[in-house]
Amino acid sequence: MHDQRAPALSVAGVDPAEASLGDLSGSGAALLVFVSEECPTSALALGNLGPLCRGWEAAGLTAAAVFEDPLDVAIRTARRLGWAGRVLSQPPPFEASRAYGLVTVPTMVLVGGAGMLEGTVVGWDQPRLAALIERAGAVLGTALAAPPATAPLVKPGCSSKAAIDPEVAAAISRRTLDDEMEEMFERGWTDGLPVVPPTTERVEAMLGGADGSASLGLVPPSMGEATLERVAACAVLAGCRPEYFPVVAAASSAVLDPAFNLHGQAVTTQPAGQLVVVNGPVRRAIGLNSGMGALGPGFRANLTIGRAVRLLATLCGGAAPGALDRATLGQMGKVGFCVAEDEETSPWEPLHAERGFEPGQSVVTVIGSDAPLNISDHRSRTPEDLAYVLAWAAASAWSTNWWPLAEPSVFVICPEHAAMFRDAGWSKQRLREFMFTAVHKPAGELRRGETTPLVHAADQAAEIPKWASPEAIVLIVAGGEAGRYSAVLGPCTGMGSQIVSREVESGWLRMTGPGTT
Amino acid sequence: MAAHDRTGHYVSPFDDRVRAPEPLAPRPAAIEGRTVALLDISKNRGAEFLDRVEMRLEAAGAVTMRRTKEIFSKPAALALVDEIAGRADLVVEALAD
Repeated sequence: MHDQRAPALSVAGVDPAEASLGDLSGSGAALLVFVSEECPTSALALGNLGPLCRGWEAAGLTAAAVFEDPLDVAIRTARRLGWAGRVLSQPPPFEASRAYGLVTVPTMVLVGGAGMLEGTVVGWDQPRLAALIERAGAVLGTALAAPPATAPLVKPGCSSKAAIDPEVAAAISRRTLDDEMEEMFERGWTDGLPVVPPTTERVEAMLGGADGSASLGLVPPSMGEATLERVAACAVLAGCRPEYFPVVAAASSAVLDPAFNLHGQAVTTQPAGQLVVVNGPVRRAIGLNSGMGALGPGFRANLTIGRAVRLLATLCGGAAPGALDRATLGQMGKVGFCVAEDEETSPWEPLHAERGFEPGQSVVTVIGSDAPLNISDHRSRTPEDLAYVLAWAAASAWSTNWWPLAEPSVFVICPEHAAMFRDAGWSKQRLREFMFTAVHKPAGELRRGETTPLVHAADQAAEIPKWASPEAIVLIVAGGEAGRYSAVLGPCTGMGSQIVSREVESGWLRMTGPGTT
Repeated sequence: MAAHDRTGHYVSPFDDRVRAPEPLAPRPAAIEGRTVALLDISKNRGAEFLDRVEMRLEAAGAVTMRRTKEIFSKPAALALVDEIAGRADLVVEALAD
């Protein structure tokens, strides 16, 4: 091997657009790492060797990833994997790979300064690679950092495209589009769904002249700073229109209030999501749906506002699912969950008025909550029967025998159910107190599996309510005019998480048109 | 707009200042004579776990100090973090039930 000259190499790169072996090994020695984008062992090699490249380069060893993929794919893959060395690309029929007799990717080839082959390692083989790097150090007369001895130490590679029939190789290597949407995934700027790329133009339009450097606070758990510019970037990514931004900003400000304890919600094994309830004139102004399908898909404002808040938590706050977000199961409300109350149909004061705001104010209220549970009732003919059915549907919220719940359960009452209470003259407080009083059990019946210290300490016959107080029952009205389906969203528990409301700052509202009141 | 947020022609949602991994503190070769903070985060049965860990540590010659977080779901108070950082060589946290 040591008296063998390395084959010539001419491959595409960035700055310069073409690289030769002399360019790479001229400063001392070159480590050619032949890889392909779809090969997991190639990814392992690039990820493990990437952080070492700068140190090697400073010592005279130029590391170059030679991809059997188009250059744009090569660049994106290298960036995603943290490869800090040169990035090169060869088109079909992969002449460089053929010249080096490649059968497998990754293959690492060490070329000395005089263009002599100094050694080759096939697949991922940490011990052999460490020896190859030691050899490079000997060639350069210096010590070089060896790849880390982390598992797996050895992993077989994949077939080189040069080892495949040229026509097949050409067919599987068709050039992909230089796809901006794919780039968003590679940057990690996503919740798993496609996003709108946050170009400076879109972010500036989202900000609408607001000062992008202003801060809403630190986003736990990583304590990234929620500058308005980053909040706007999340709103763009989520698919918001600029007129939604005041609502996104208000909701973001609300979840960052320490009383909400986003920190606990963001990292918990619970499925807690951040429910955003919107009240006031802004609902109509920006097209939030509070009617048919109020908790479901189909309406851009509802889906994107909730999503923007979640993207802020996961991207700026670092609570990525499976990483710092430790949710055992999670739930789809964690993609984003924004509900507008149907104040016009409701027989009661809206949520924000209950919380001390004027009915004419636009307000967002955030609540740590579980996924909705449907409650069908087409048969109740008295408000007492209906209230009983609604309340007992929540008896298993959080956990079957976990009574009482201190944290809020949110009931979304559909218009037909709301009408029955309106016709009977029931106030919201009367319904809340009836529901609170209706659901109780003797402590002895609750002592199976997970239950509360209060249940353990109580007498066998002591009646334990489902909720600690009537105030733990939150009632809002939304939904289509037909169908007797309400819903309850169980709580996020044990975190001292409080409900937080914020006014949507009217100075930012760009409300126009007939919906504005 | 803040120039550091620009990534090409995009505005990054990341705060890159907080994304760099924190290096691990150096690990001592032995625990004999070291002060070990045992932090109960206030989660169910964490104290039982720490009781057993404390026995083992004391048998190995470590000096222990027990502390408790106010609530498990929020970061520890800075005063508590400072106290542990100032007095202890090592920390064991009882994380969950």
